[in-house]
Amino acid sequence: MNNAHNKMPDGSKLNKNLMLQCTKAASILKGKAVDEFEVYGLASISTLIKIYNLDVENLSFSDTRGMGFRIFKGGRMGYAYTSNLEKGEVEKCIEKAVANSGITHKEQYNYLPLEEEFKYKRGLIDEKNLLSEKFLEYTTEDKIKIARELERITRKKDKRVKGISNLLYEDSLTEIAIINSAGFSGSYKTSSAFIYESVISREGSDNSTGDYFGYARGPEKLDVELISGNAVKRSTMLLGAKKVKSQVGSVILDPFVAAQLLGVIAGMLAADAIQKGKSLFKGRIGEKIFNGDFNIIDDGTLKEGLASKPFDGEGVPKGRTVIFDKGVLTTYLYNTFTARKDKMLSTGNAVRSSYKSPPDVGISNFYIEPSAISFENLIKKMDKGFYVMDIIGLHSGVNPISGHISVGAKGMWIEDGILTFPLKEVTIATDILSFCKNLETVGSDIKYLPANGYIGSPSMLVRNIAIGGN
Amino acid sequence: MIDPKLTKKVLAELLKSGAEFSEIFIQKRILNNLKLEDGKIESSNSGFELGCGLRIISGDSTYYGFVDSLSSDKILNAARVLRSAVCSKLIEKPLVLSERKKNSERLIIKHPFNVSQEDKKSFLLDVDSAARNYNVTVIQVTSGLSDLVENTYIANSEGFFCSDELIMVYLSVNVVARKENEIRTGYKSIAKTRGYEIFNNRKPYDIAIEASTIAVKMLDAVSAPTGAMPVVLGPAFGGVIFHEACGHGLEADAVLKDATVYKGKIGEKIASSIVTAVDDATIPYSWGSYTFDDEGYPSEKNILIENGILRNYIFDYKTAKKMKMKQTGNGRRQSFRDIPIPRMSNTYIANGNEDPSLIMKSVKNGIYAKEFAGGQVDPATGDFVFGISEGYIIENGAICAPIKNATLIGNGPEILKKIDAVGNNLDFAPGFCGKGGQSISNEVGQPTILVREITVGGTKV
Repeated sequence: MNNAHNKMPDGSKLNKNLMLQCTKAASILKGKAVDEFEVYGLASISTLIKIYNLDVENLSFSDTRGMGFRIFKGGRMGYAYTSNLEKGEVEKCIEKAVANSGITHKEQYNYLPLEEEFKYKRGLIDEKNLLSEKFLEYTTEDKIKIARELERITRKKDKRVKGISNLLYEDSLTEIAIINSAGFSGSYKTSSAFIYESVISREGSDNSTGDYFGYARGPEKLDVELISGNAVKRSTMLLGAKKVKSQVGSVILDPFVAAQLLGVIAGMLAADAIQKGKSLFKGRIGEKIFNGDFNIIDDGTLKEGLASKPFDGEGVPKGRTVIFDKGVLTTYLYNTFTARKDKMLSTGNAVRSSYKSPPDVGISNFYIEPSAISFENLIKKMDKGFYVMDIIGLHSGVNPISGHISVGAKGMWIEDGILTFPLKEVTIATDILSFCKNLETVGSDIKYLPANGYIGSPSMLVRNIAIGGN
Repeated sequence: MIDPKLTKKVLAELLKSGAEFSEIFIQKRILNNLKLEDGKIESSNSGFELGCGLRIISGDSTYYGFVDSLSSDKILNAARVLRSAVCSKLIEKPLVLSERKKNSERLIIKHPFNVSQEDKKSFLLDVDSAARNYNVTVIQVTSGLSDLVENTYIANSEGFFCSDELIMVYLSVNVVARKENEIRTGYKSIAKTRGYEIFNNRKPYDIAIEASTIAVKMLDAVSAPTGAMPVVLGPAFGGVIFHEACGHGLEADAVLKDATVYKGKIGEKIASSIVTAVDDATIPYSWGSYTFDDEGYPSEKNILIENGILRNYIFDYKTAKKMKMKQTGNGRRQSFRDIPIPRMSNTYIANGNEDPSLIMKSVKNGIYAKEFAGGQVDPATGDFVFGISEGYIIENGAICAPIKNATLIGNGPEILKKIDAVGNNLDFAPGFCGKGGQSISNEVGQPTILVREITVGGTKV
């Protein structure tokens, strides 16, 4: 390796003409026989580094952009996208979007967002917080150094560390621009840096894996010492794990495990799922779903929130929505289409995973408020049960519609308020509504997980969970 | 898709870094996606994607970059930038390119471009009415119909280029049934690497009825038992267990990183002697089939396990070189934006000799796991979990009450040794597999199989 890395694409020339390209597309759309249109543009520069045995395994640069066109014609919506922004291609794509509106269903709510439908005002966010100032100072060489450093420290931490099966660094600088025919035009830039490692440890013939990550606005905020410490601990702690006898008992969920389950609940609160009869929370506004007085919030303006942005996937301003207030369900999450159906205001929860699809409904920074109880006190409070450090099979083990949960779990057994021996090949099973009822306490140790949004949870103490072993 | 002179120029530019391998991968995709929900065509979405990926392998390192364009200036510029990331010295290497021809041609009858939007719409409306008419408890039907026309061109410094066209059609049906406070779902799909003739034999409404049947049956489900017991795994999608619990552990990148329990086990007995497992990307029109892999290597049938003995791993170019083995045509990538890695194609457990009904009769108390919601494995340990989406209690050899909320959990290498019976009713099911952030098409398959003991994670303790 040498300093030639400095020649790699840097963000300074990031997509300066994205807005210009969107404006050009909008002028093409103005000439089409449509009622309304929206142009969504995304441009992103990213670097992906994989390290293996302290060497660069993969180094990948991407500089990509694309546009999606949403058009409304006679109450029908059509959509098309292209990653090829040459003029003829954009024209062809727009034609396709118009043609697509020919076969979709006519809906009275199919039109662009209007200002009086916004629940929150514009300007609740300081856009400076979305971008790391130091981001551009880091060369590819600097980033490789950070990733290598993570491996170097990890290997020195514990003799039982046998290898690192996956170590990657990925960052990106992204710009989003939206222009619509109702007069909205806006853009913003965000940056992020992510580092992850999965550590294999071995003792005798027993293998155990554990992982950890860091996620921040820029590489300068990644704490490799902390990440390696946690990954090694999670891997080595579970060496020699055994099964436990099947029983119904108490569990403490690690913040990342709790955040994954919270993510399932989040999906069930999207107004789209409610209106289509696919959520257990349908018709339950005003009901006390949790026995405890928990507050659950979606806040698209959270200062440290990595899912914060000035406006959502259709240009509606983001805000702070309290969904569960002292355990009572107070509202669902809306984009403008679903808000109109329920005669509500849009909470700014239109999400788009990329320019490749029209807006859907989803979360931004979604979290359960922590308490003042430390993890140690949480364990004492539980006295006896299963401390779940990791789960697998969430994707297949949770049915977001029926609310059934059954996943594989590993962690430690707790007896008399202290950690005793490690467990693996255990299942935990419940259903979402019982889970809400049986959530007794949360801790003070809130952590955030990037997962279709940015989900935060402290450790959770839950009673009456089916624990499957032998 | 690209001028051969430009290809040579780009490959040569990349090799100037002194690297041993350079590659250009061009991909053009036209996609159409119709979605039905609430009895309506909710969205009609089309996509146009075009781009060029450039790759250099130097020692153990891979360097990758891409452009969303086929303009020669942009590609050459990207090649220069990428080359300078590897090394600043310049080396000229001569390069000759010849075409690698296809081994076979697949006939496509109803090309997606020749099927009208109205016809596509009517397939989905048929799905909706069939699913709803099946039973009054059906409250929601979500169905997606997608087609893809993909053209690829690959050339590399090994001296060949090849090109291909791939057609894919995919229909999925998700049914929600409700009885009082119980909500259940049923899922079925059909997907092939061919045109709309896939509906000539199996009609969209057949798929809808299959999905509704599952959702409605599951409304009467009882709590699943918890603990270790015999499990009969159903044909077709039951093969997802082999895919997850064993297949991923046979991918050579995991072997090289010592991140799999199957490392160093070639020639050893790792499964019951009645188990033979295969990865075969050549099965005509299968969802995981292709003519060339995403590195331009011809697809192959690869015997992974023969009568219980491990025979081979799953390789791409880089891992095969490194391990001094032959490529198996399994270098796959999500798109021109991604680096190819070893991936499965159509992976299955081959037919055995037993009658599936006799397998069922041999079980006194256990579970019949017919359909799965998917699963996950940790290849380093072989530990896996699978969510059962359609399952039943077996009592005295008979299929009894349906069960809800159940997961299978276990360890791949242990389960392979506990396979006590393999049926003669091999069948396949399509799906998607994610690895390293890349999602690709896969088919899984198996006949009915009996595993002596797996831990079932239910709520009834």
